[in-house]
Amino acid sequence: MMDILLETKGLTRVFGGLVAVDKVDLQIETDKITAVIGPNGAGKTTLFNLITGVHTPTDGEISFKGKPISRALSGSGKHHRFRDLANSSFNSLRNRSYQVSPALRTKLGIVRTFQHVHLFNNMTVMENVMTGQHPRSSYGFLEAAFHLPKRYREEERIRLNAMKYLNMVGMGQYEEENAMNLPLGQQKLLAIARALATEPQLLLLDEPGAGLNRLEKRDLSDLIRRIRDMGITVVLVEHDMPLVMGLAEKVVVLDTGRKIAEGTAAQVQKDKRVIAAYLGDDEDDL
Amino acid sequence: MSRNMLSRWRLLLIPVLIILMCLVPFDWFLGQYKYLGTVIGLSTIVTVGLCLFMGYTGQVSLGQAAFYGIGMYFSAVLSSKQGLDPWLAMLIAASVTAAVAFLLGIILRLKGNYLAMATLAVGFIVWKIAVIDDMGYTGGPDGIREIPYLAIGGFEFDSQFRRYYLVWGICLAILLISQSIVNSRIGRALRAVHGSEEAAESLGIDVFRFKLKIFVVSAVYASIAGSLFAHHQLHASPGYFEPIDSVYLVIMAVIGGLASIWGAIFGAGAVEILRNEILIHYDQWNMVILGLILMLILIFMPEGLFVALKMGYQRDGVLFIPKRIWRLVIRLYSGIRGFQQRKTAKSFHGEPDR
Repeated sequence: MMDILLETKGLTRVFGGLVAVDKVDLQIETDKITAVIGPNGAGKTTLFNLITGVHTPTDGEISFKGKPISRALSGSGKHHRFRDLANSSFNSLRNRSYQVSPALRTKLGIVRTFQHVHLFNNMTVMENVMTGQHPRSSYGFLEAAFHLPKRYREEERIRLNAMKYLNMVGMGQYEEENAMNLPLGQQKLLAIARALATEPQLLLLDEPGAGLNRLEKRDLSDLIRRIRDMGITVVLVEHDMPLVMGLAEKVVVLDTGRKIAEGTAAQVQKDKRVIAAYLGDDEDDL
Repeated sequence: MSRNMLSRWRLLLIPVLIILMCLVPFDWFLGQYKYLGTVIGLSTIVTVGLCLFMGYTGQVSLGQAAFYGIGMYFSAVLSSKQGLDPWLAMLIAASVTAAVAFLLGIILRLKGNYLAMATLAVGFIVWKIAVIDDMGYTGGPDGIREIPYLAIGGFEFDSQFRRYYLVWGICLAILLISQSIVNSRIGRALRAVHGSEEAAESLGIDVFRFKLKIFVVSAVYASIAGSLFAHHQLHASPGYFEPIDSVYLVIMAVIGGLASIWGAIFGAGAVEILRNEILIHYDQWNMVILGLILMLILIFMPEGLFVALKMGYQRDGVLFIPKRIWRLVIRLYSGIRGFQQRKTAKSFHGEPDR
């Protein structure tokens, strides 16, 4: 009945002596909005980095659409340093661990946005979104250098698609603007449009509401719902509780790397451990 | 508005520049400079590659002269001693250089600050191999002579006049190719890598692969220029690609503006003219002056002289140079005043404010 798009089993990541993510079992359901919340340092961003492949797990497994994209079978832990350095190619033989590269994960359909927007400031708004179409196009150096027909075919499609996503976030009129000159609210929308342009199945939003005013946040909620209705599963990390509670169909609470609760917004709000770990400490956020 | 003005000027400026460039080798115009013009063309080819590489990966390669040398020697040896067709020799030279750059890129992962040092070392190694000549191929310090001219059909490029057009023709082709790469999906990926590697990776761009590819492209450009030089000079010797030449090439790329294509002509032209016409009379000051220029440009216009001039013109119109100088004066003045105020504040309160 419920479809699992992304699943983590016993996912662990250790930085030196710090256990940033500690045996997290997570199930992201298809076509739902899931929120990951937790106090600062709970491991939310590390979780994102593990899912997108920026970090490799110390232990545990991530599977996307039923297929493993990241697997680490830790034994003693003495190989961890090697794994960080060589990023799996050496280890996959030796330790049977398995890593899909970040670029390939985007091609499979996982994409993220960043807390600090990370737009390409040296490009226009349109070009930023067109860059998002990179994994959905294939012409290479030769076609580009010698203006072969494939270049024109694909470039046409890239431009149309980019315009579509730009219009979807309501920024079609700014296509020629330099990305650097936009106010923060629009930069965040542009980052979402750029991520959508990769045509993902799973969209990870890292604090999309940070730095936005009330009105912009309301528009953002609408946008996220529309994205969900397009058939894209959304996972967001967010500190703004009203935004999360109004939006998320499922809430996962992390604290010091562990998953301490999950359920609907109402269930989570009543959970004693959540109140102790998070809401009780920081009542302003409610 | 200023942008419109620029495009209007550009319509006039570019044909005029092209015609002037075409007229240079005629004796009634700048005939005595046609050798220099050819050298500028060759340097431009290398500089374009270096601009692409340095501009988009943010790293410095001090080994372009080595790739130039590899191209030069492979062309020279294959076409003179092995008797191959010069064009085929050039192609083989380019392939060999591409392979060398590819392996080098994979070994160095194009990461960290060691690339500059490692490529510098490659420059010395290739140069030394050519000088020592253990296997009897390179001819030692004397180098190789009896290299044939390039020819298309029966048309030999046997005069300075003809070779000027040959070099600039190939240079123009390379500039146009680079331009179309930059304006394509590949160029967007490269600019994305330049803008934010993290974000580029998140969009499915394989950052390392793109860096590696552009490194190989830049090496191939250098190799083509080296091959052309061998068939132009009819002589290949270690003196033509000393490791220090890599530094000159970096200066050209910086003056032209990193990540800019057409600036390369400007950078190569400026440095070659300075080097061959002006600084040649002050030999011992050569590097001092060029080093000073490099430093000033990196401090005040890190985006490159050509790009800074272009942007200044787009922003402020014709008066941009006095405006820029005025702004600089204000900045320096307020900087000095701020420094003095901080000093007095420190002396009043007995500890530095944070």
